[in-house]
Amino acid sequence: MKEMISTLHGYATETIKNTGRNFYIYILVLLLIIGWGFFNYTQMFITGHGLSGLSDVVPWGIYISGLAFFIGSSAGATIIGLLIYGFGREDYKPIGTRAVLLALFCIFGATQFVMADVGVPHRAMKVPFFLRNETSMFFISSSSYMGFMTILGAELYFALKVTLGIGGEKAKKIAKWLGILAVPYALFVVHTFTGTIFGVVIARESWNTPLLPIHFIASALASGVALVIIIAITTSKLKGKQIVSPETYHHMGMLLGAFLTATLFLDLTDYMIILYGGTAEGLETWHIISRRFGFLLSLNIFGMMIAIGILITKWGKTENGLFIASLLCVAAILAYRINLVIVGQLVPLYPELGELQYIPTMPEISVALAIVALILLLYSLFSWILPMEKKDLKTGTIH
Amino acid sequence: MSKLTRREVIKLAVITGAAALLPQQIHAFSEILEKLPGFQKNPTKVPPPVKGARYGMVIDLGLCIGCRRCSYACKLENSVPDTISPPYIMVLETDPMRFTSGDLFNKKFEEKNRVNYTRLRKDMMYMPVQCNHCENPPCTKVCPTKATYKDKDGIVLVDYSKCIGCRYCMVACPYNARRFNWFEPHVPAEMVNPLVPVRPHGVVEKCTFCVHRTRLGRTTRCVEACPNKARTFGDLNDPDSEISKIVRSERSLRLKEGLNTGPHIWYLTREKSKPMRWYTPLPPPANIRGVLG
Repeated sequence: MKEMISTLHGYATETIKNTGRNFYIYILVLLLIIGWGFFNYTQMFITGHGLSGLSDVVPWGIYISGLAFFIGSSAGATIIGLLIYGFGREDYKPIGTRAVLLALFCIFGATQFVMADVGVPHRAMKVPFFLRNETSMFFISSSSYMGFMTILGAELYFALKVTLGIGGEKAKKIAKWLGILAVPYALFVVHTFTGTIFGVVIARESWNTPLLPIHFIASALASGVALVIIIAITTSKLKGKQIVSPETYHHMGMLLGAFLTATLFLDLTDYMIILYGGTAEGLETWHIISRRFGFLLSLNIFGMMIAIGILITKWGKTENGLFIASLLCVAAILAYRINLVIVGQLVPLYPELGELQYIPTMPEISVALAIVALILLLYSLFSWILPMEKKDLKTGTIH
Repeated sequence: MSKLTRREVIKLAVITGAAALLPQQIHAFSEILEKLPGFQKNPTKVPPPVKGARYGMVIDLGLCIGCRRCSYACKLENSVPDTISPPYIMVLETDPMRFTSGDLFNKKFEEKNRVNYTRLRKDMMYMPVQCNHCENPPCTKVCPTKATYKDKDGIVLVDYSKCIGCRYCMVACPYNARRFNWFEPHVPAEMVNPLVPVRPHGVVEKCTFCVHRTRLGRTTRCVEACPNKARTFGDLNDPDSEISKIVRSERSLRLKEGLNTGPHIWYLTREKSKPMRWYTPLPPPANIRGVLG
């Protein structure tokens, strides 16, 4: 441990010395966004959640959409570990530790969305330990998030040990098994239960389907891989050198295309069944999603279609094409999450309630942006001061 | 790669198992602590459930004129602040000639809501909706802290000292029966019912079937306030109670029965009687969050 700390300290000192001013400006901007959101959160904590656009008819808004999105991205990012350790794709190693960091901070950010959403956050912290209801999907999910954070934390620790050349073969072996274990845990425990939070709600027809957890898994894999691609390309540009080979990018593009196609297929069949079934709630869902939320629906469907289109052409094999396809994928899946969470509640439980509305307020948006900024800040800081691959140790510079 | 020794595998398994069971152990420890003198929590003070009772309510739509007196009486009885709008009871004006909802071309969906009506119409039906105190309540299943629970007499209650305000119960309730304290509630001191303290902001609340009255042998406040006696409250387990007789003999419906929630509120679908008195409705609830119109 001592050896590890002293090596990391030496690396971090060297890195800090060689860091340019732009990085600090970027960190300052993130801190300002976090400060703005934190101020508004304290207002909300003191005054009440009435400062948000939420209501008794639409009790969940952008916070729960953020939770679903970042849980998905976290689960999807773990697939890199499986590729490296399970399938022996050594070419993914340079982004292995980055993917673990991304997954760890995405799940941490997701839990912060929950803390921002609940009315009594200090009591919510007791949930897995002192307050528990084993039949609640919220309880099961929150417990699984803690387990997932522990696995990812341990994976990061052993991955760093391997990078630093400490711990020998044993550290490699533990890192390998944690990397493999993280994937089924992320997909079949963490994300399945997150999908089930919505799937078990019999009151909301558009949520109450056994296909929802499967849909969540497919979209999680797509958004997770897309985020890893974005991180890999951005880091390459910042460092001024390729961190993974063009073949690896091509392979990631193929994976992204496959996950996107599965998600798009599930989306389209979902809408087709809603329209064909013609139930009152189904048609009202379609009515709202296609008119008031038409922009998000278009972003969801056409975003994925264009991304798949880019990936199957030559442009998709270039870094720029892959980057744009990944951005479109992230935007499309975020749009899907917002549509799912919000439109599902905008269908009135009594037709006599008429048209319902939810418009997020500025304080609410600022808190959501602050959590995204917090995820970026944590990722940026840790990927800056920790060696992400063996090559970094020699240079001690990233930015 | 070197293999892990048997000792190391056992060590890893023990650590993983202990970590997985940690929440369970802490919970068990906290339960032991709660039993010790001086460590007991102060749960929401409500009278104990009446043995053998199972409460329910019947609302006769043929007698309901939509005057909102039940809603206002409930608000006063339960110290519901103005920031909770609508109060626990919401009265809907429904069009008996509406055949479908959700039709793509049905312009009625775009119309103003039917909660804010200001004058009564004889061609309309009026339907008060509130917590149905379901036999199989979805809200108790989803609550992560068991803050909402179904008591032995069938009344679904909220323990405000356990509620974390996640609003999962509100999302899961098919009847829009739950209310969240969006702001710090302010109820003038002279209007607070000492038997029902005001709840803090950040927690969910709802109709309690006036548990502070009904468990002491009285009826609910909404039953007392109804000018046309459209509501009947009582013990469904008592075959001689008025409610049991009505449920057995009259044609009735329960809301969203297909969901198998087993609501404890029955609606009688009788025609409006001609000599019935029509009172001026009390004003609609102000500033209903999230409802347009």
